[in-house]
Amino acid sequence: MNMFLHELKAYRKSTIIWSMALAGIVIVFLSMFPAFSSNAEELKKLLENLPLALRNAIGLSLDTIGSLLGFYSTLTFLYITLCGAIQAMNLGTSIVSKEVREKTADFLLTKPVSRVQILSAKLLAALTSLVITNVIYLIVASLMASATSPQPFSLKLFLMISATLFLIQLMFLALGVIISVIAPRIKAVLPVSLGTVFPFFFISMFGSAIGDNNLRYITPFKFYDPAYIIKNASYEASFVLLEVGLIILAIAASYVIYLKKDIDSV
Amino acid sequence: MNTIEINNLTKTYGKARGITNVSFNVEEGEIFGFIGPNGAGKSTTIRTLLSLIYPTSGSAKIFGKDCIEFGPEIKKEIGYLPSEVFYYDNMKVMDLLNYSASFYKKDCKKRIKELAEIMNLDLNKKIDDLSYGNKKKVGIVQGLLHEPKLIMLDEPTSGLDPLMQQKFFDLLKEENKKGATILFSSHVLSEVQKMCERVAIIKEGKIIKIERISDLKENNYKNFELETLSKIDQNYFNINGVTNLLVKDNSVSFLFKGNINLILQKISVIEIANLWIEEPNLEDVFMHYYEKGE
Repeated sequence: MNMFLHELKAYRKSTIIWSMALAGIVIVFLSMFPAFSSNAEELKKLLENLPLALRNAIGLSLDTIGSLLGFYSTLTFLYITLCGAIQAMNLGTSIVSKEVREKTADFLLTKPVSRVQILSAKLLAALTSLVITNVIYLIVASLMASATSPQPFSLKLFLMISATLFLIQLMFLALGVIISVIAPRIKAVLPVSLGTVFPFFFISMFGSAIGDNNLRYITPFKFYDPAYIIKNASYEASFVLLEVGLIILAIAASYVIYLKKDIDSV
Repeated sequence: MNTIEINNLTKTYGKARGITNVSFNVEEGEIFGFIGPNGAGKSTTIRTLLSLIYPTSGSAKIFGKDCIEFGPEIKKEIGYLPSEVFYYDNMKVMDLLNYSASFYKKDCKKRIKELAEIMNLDLNKKIDDLSYGNKKKVGIVQGLLHEPKLIMLDEPTSGLDPLMQQKFFDLLKEENKKGATILFSSHVLSEVQKMCERVAIIKEGKIIKIERISDLKENNYKNFELETLSKIDQNYFNINGVTNLLVKDNSVSFLFKGNINLILQKISVIEIANLWIEEPNLEDVFMHYYEKGE
């Protein structure tokens, strides 16, 4: 418990900043929606001039863009997930590497706690930080959506789409953790997390642009298709299973590696 | 009873540094010195005892329990001070010490205050703002606040001024009187000489010798230094029992072990200007061990 609280405290600043950043993005984007929806027809014509591949790449679907959910899922949420992924990746990568970099591993690992306890406390703290961010985001986004949408919309679908932020973050958190236990020494977290998140992001854009459905299995950004959620009011089971499987695999491997790892002196 | 039992502990890092078949015991209540030059394997041994790293082969027991299997349990009674201390920078000294104390199911508040007073440590400063020596003090308090039964120190005195070193040694001796066993690694021999009852000497990952400090010093080694009036033959003193012989112009120095009369007779034959016969410090004795293998 003491480790969990200590870690959570260490994440306090970053949790606040990321929560504010995500809330800020959704406020800015959704505040454009009223203007957008009142001129929807003209804007659609304008956007039709964009090449189809580009429209696909940024997930622009002209049929739905006039509705709040369509606008939200294509013109807002993409950037929210990108930021969220970076936050989760940062957290995951720093879990073990922070102790090595700040040379505090000796402090923690010579205390009467097992490595399982250490890793669990840290994982739980990172998870809590993500949950807090998501709760704040969901509240702000829902309020903003209600305030800006001229027509009624399904709050359930809105929340279902928004909740995929958390699911995507979980995937990147797990990815970050496994990288941080495998890499011998990570000098700075940000290059590693950006270097992981952006390739996945570009793969997802590329996949959308060329319409290759198989690429969806590679990038967590495409695990949950908002269009599918809007249509079916559910997530695609195969991708949920894929994510659960990958996370279990990554976290289990992280425990095994971390338990056997030599903590070398500075 | 042995507090630490190390059996053929081996750790190989690829082909680089490591330790080979290290075995020694530390008895309950003793202050045990662990000496060797930098990179000899002192830290590797201590880090294995703390299960920070895992042995390639061999095993070690602390309080009679395997140090890997029962790691978390035995660490309740271990205080460790690493050679280089770095703590969570954005914390205050007090917060860090409280965090450290929170791992032990004891109330350590009083002890923290006592230790901080002895070591002259300001508890309200940020760790970030502390000098190296003061960070070291945080490390000392951190390692002792839960009144451990076994204290492991890895080159503990670097960065402390002589006054603080003395206070620190007094503190350790006090803990020892209260029953704590101490394993003390160092490459500074004089501090080991001051503190320890027994020493293990490690070189290139292997234990060369385990001896009582008193035996080492009573080994009849004498340090001879003399100045002659005229030049003498380089090999004049090169007799059985003489080591570390150094002849330079008119000055001669060497270590001698054996019948002291023999050497005095040799000295009485030549004309000398000055003569010193001293107890050798450990440094001289150890140099002798270090050089033997080369």
